[in-house]
Amino acid sequence: MGFWLELIASGLITGGIYALVAIGLNLQYGLMRIMNISHGEFLMLGAYLTWLAHTFAGVNPLAFLPVVALALFGAGLLVYRLCFRRIARTSPAVELIEARSLLVGFGLMYLVQNAAYLVWGADLRGYSFLAEPVEIMGARFTGNRLAAFGFAVAASLFLIAVLRWTLVGKAVRAMMQSPAGAQLVGIDTAVLHPVVFGAGLALAGVAGGLLSMVYEITPAMGEPYTVTALIVITLGGLGSAAGCLAGGLLLGVVEALGMHFTSPSLKMLLSYAVFIAVLLARPKGLFAR
Amino acid sequence: MSIARFGGILSAVALAAACLPAAAQEAPVRIGYAIARTGPWAAGAQLTQEPNYIMWADQVNAAGGLNVKGRKRKVELVGFDDRSEAETVVRTYEKLMGSDKVDLILPPWGTGANFAVMPLIQKYGYPMIAPTATGRRLLGMKNPYFFAILQQPDRMMEALAEFLKARRVETAAVIHVDELFGLEQYTGLEAAFKEKGIRIIEKKTYPLGVKDLKPVLNDIKAKNPDAFIALSYPPDTFLVTAQAREIAFNPKAFYAAVGTAFPIYRDKLGPAVEGVMGLGTLNPKSSPAAKAYFDAHVAKHNKEPDRWASAHAWAALQVLEQAVAKVGLDRKALRDAIATGEFDTVIGKVRFKDGENVTTPGVVSQWQGREFEVVWPPDKATAPALFPKPAWR
Amino acid sequence: MRLATALAACAIAGLVLAPAPWLVSDFALSLTLSCLMYVGLAVSWAMFSGATNYLSLATAAFFGIGAYVTAWGHGTLPYAVAVPLGGLAAALFAAAIGAAVLHLRGAYFAVITFGLGELVRHAITYGEKTWARTVGRVISDPPATETVYLVVLALALAAVATAAAVRASRFGLALAGVGSDEERARTLGVNTRLVKTGGFALAAFFAGALGAAVAVRWTYIEPASVFNPFIGFQTVLIAMVGGAHTLAGPIASAVVFSVLTELLRLQFPYAYLIVLGALLILLVLYLPGGLASLLERWKWRQRHA
Repeated sequence: MGFWLELIASGLITGGIYALVAIGLNLQYGLMRIMNISHGEFLMLGAYLTWLAHTFAGVNPLAFLPVVALALFGAGLLVYRLCFRRIARTSPAVELIEARSLLVGFGLMYLVQNAAYLVWGADLRGYSFLAEPVEIMGARFTGNRLAAFGFAVAASLFLIAVLRWTLVGKAVRAMMQSPAGAQLVGIDTAVLHPVVFGAGLALAGVAGGLLSMVYEITPAMGEPYTVTALIVITLGGLGSAAGCLAGGLLLGVVEALGMHFTSPSLKMLLSYAVFIAVLLARPKGLFAR
Repeated sequence: MSIARFGGILSAVALAAACLPAAAQEAPVRIGYAIARTGPWAAGAQLTQEPNYIMWADQVNAAGGLNVKGRKRKVELVGFDDRSEAETVVRTYEKLMGSDKVDLILPPWGTGANFAVMPLIQKYGYPMIAPTATGRRLLGMKNPYFFAILQQPDRMMEALAEFLKARRVETAAVIHVDELFGLEQYTGLEAAFKEKGIRIIEKKTYPLGVKDLKPVLNDIKAKNPDAFIALSYPPDTFLVTAQAREIAFNPKAFYAAVGTAFPIYRDKLGPAVEGVMGLGTLNPKSSPAAKAYFDAHVAKHNKEPDRWASAHAWAALQVLEQAVAKVGLDRKALRDAIATGEFDTVIGKVRFKDGENVTTPGVVSQWQGREFEVVWPPDKATAPALFPKPAWR
Repeated sequence: MRLATALAACAIAGLVLAPAPWLVSDFALSLTLSCLMYVGLAVSWAMFSGATNYLSLATAAFFGIGAYVTAWGHGTLPYAVAVPLGGLAAALFAAAIGAAVLHLRGAYFAVITFGLGELVRHAITYGEKTWARTVGRVISDPPATETVYLVVLALALAAVATAAAVRASRFGLALAGVGSDEERARTLGVNTRLVKTGGFALAAFFAGALGAAVAVRWTYIEPASVFNPFIGFQTVLIAMVGGAHTLAGPIASAVVFSVLTELLRLQFPYAYLIVLGALLILLVLYLPGGLASLLERWKWRQRHA
């Protein structure tokens, strides 16, 4: 029994990390159709900020996360103002917003990554924090992984609640369904767009901060996380907060079970096979609207 | 640190340029290379390899220049980013050797990139001494211009087998990464264990980029092997260590391959590294020359080198320097000098046979406190081994 | 008329570029080869994705499949056979997956094509490791640089000629019809499924053949390098910056992008990606129609001068 608990829990926790990586991108894509391919780079920035604060100023990384969130929120407003506002305003169709934001995302990716290389060098970095195992019902987990998992679940539930029950959530959902219609009924996209974009980056930054406690970091770490995020949000259904969480958890559990019953070498094959099978059955993801 | 490195290159070039008109010397010796400064290879390349190139050029120029058959000439490094991409590696070396006709080249980082340069060094006739390329397959190409200065997989695994045998280890569980490196190491390990009578009771493989290995480690823990050996790359090395500790899997011997020798391994995992073993060649306690190398590296780059391949990268430059002093820049003669000579380096005497460094023995190192102590072979050891491994901290 | 012009341009380009190995420096040749590779990849990508608005991220998969055909055939298959065979294998793969996934749209299609590429990459890794007990394959005596160059040149020109021919054909019109309004195209009697699958497979052929042709330069063929997702991303980037709905745009963009990246890399070895990133952003913001729109604007001015 303890064995199964540990296996499934281990999968869920890794799945929570996958979801964590994806939440911010999901928000941006879901609301504005901005396919921000530089998502992983901002996650990397969050990781480096946390690492810096902890290593050179001795700040508790968890306590520092709000600062990371604020810093990246600010960066998000700036990036939106400089790049994406113009795209959102001048693109006649949603498909064009998607395509152009993809290209801008590439540019940002090169820019941010290279800047990180110049400032911090290419070396692996990391620190030990909350690495001590905690025993829960006979199974053992490290605190930092539990923190990442907890944040992913909490942030997802919070987003689901906000989107469902608050006025802002209604406005956001209205905008998802019809940008023009939303403006007609008086929703101010000029405020909402940058704020949501900033929130997306803030979430990416916090995810990075949490991951820096678990894994080592480098300026090149972003790209694989962007790929993970893309897979997770498509699997769950683009724009769906519940789908994002479910998609991440599903992948984590599939991998854990696959690793135990077959060979770990097959785990990538398995998770991609599950991803493809789900999309073939449900072409708009698990939580298609 | 990167900026410091950039400054380093600028000053090396500026120094070389400044000295030119004054002494009416000959043109500097131009040494070209491509190496990863961005992308997935960059972390390894910028820890193990390029800092050594820059430090070497600085030291040589500070000492008046490179001794080319008795005449001192300044050194100018011509280094480009290879973007962690095979095609860019090929294109850059075609430029350096085919178009720019630099005097000498230095190798790129990693087995894949070294493979990509193989036909080119033969075509243009440039000797290359590689510190971060391992594999019988590379040597199997029988390229007369290629020299591998790092210990080959079988040699490292034999050392590990001898070490474990000497401590009466009977069973082992092995995991390896699905890469040429993992496979070759495993082949070496399998043969060495068979000879020494150590049974492999579990073997699992996993793909690159894995983020969770806990289920595998739990399965292995249930089988209770004497030794656990991960033939891993840096990210997985960090991962297995953290997760073995997480589930309190504490075999008598815990070994992980690439990355254990990195200073960041100790810094990231903290006291948990105590007693973990891995691939390493030396540390500052190994010899006065090693101490001098570590001190110079810290002074120059404000960071420690790793305790395995970094020193080999430095040794490769020492071999090149000594060969150039002897026969000059005629590359055919240089190749022959490297192939037949014996060289004094930071890793000890180096001699090549069929392109392989046959003098540096396989080594097992182990973290004890803040140092990655050499624990095997006995005549190279800097500390007695901690065996069995103490409980995770 | 336009087709004839395009074909004539191809023929002239072939005549001009073919003697390059004996005239220009090794580096210039190498750079030209890179340009040609991306011309071939971007043009073939745009042939399908530009026309239909199905954004495919499977280019790296096609490229890798082609490369593995050369790797597996090395020593038994001559290079001249391996290259088209690599293209064919990629085309077959595209036809098979196209039939299954071409009903997905937008980002879902993009991400699933990427996922399929990764699936193949991991399947090959697993298969090679299990049955061949290796991960990468060594090309022990690769063809001469001149041969590789000429083959890549031929493939790039063939891709351009094919794209031009497709644009002038009923098939091309059907592809464009799928792009502007798939429902209507179907109502008008276009077998959209067949057209999409055919277009996808045709584009895959060139990516696969280029993979088979180029990867021998790397001596060591392993999944991580030949299925490198960046090959696919870069192709999409180039085609879209050029203007994916045009023929000249991706060609110009492939040349500009390759040469510019290389010059920046050699000139600013530590900061070139910052420059490249900034240029890219400015280009998208202030030239949203791509490089091709410059050409259109110029033509428009000529006409109205």
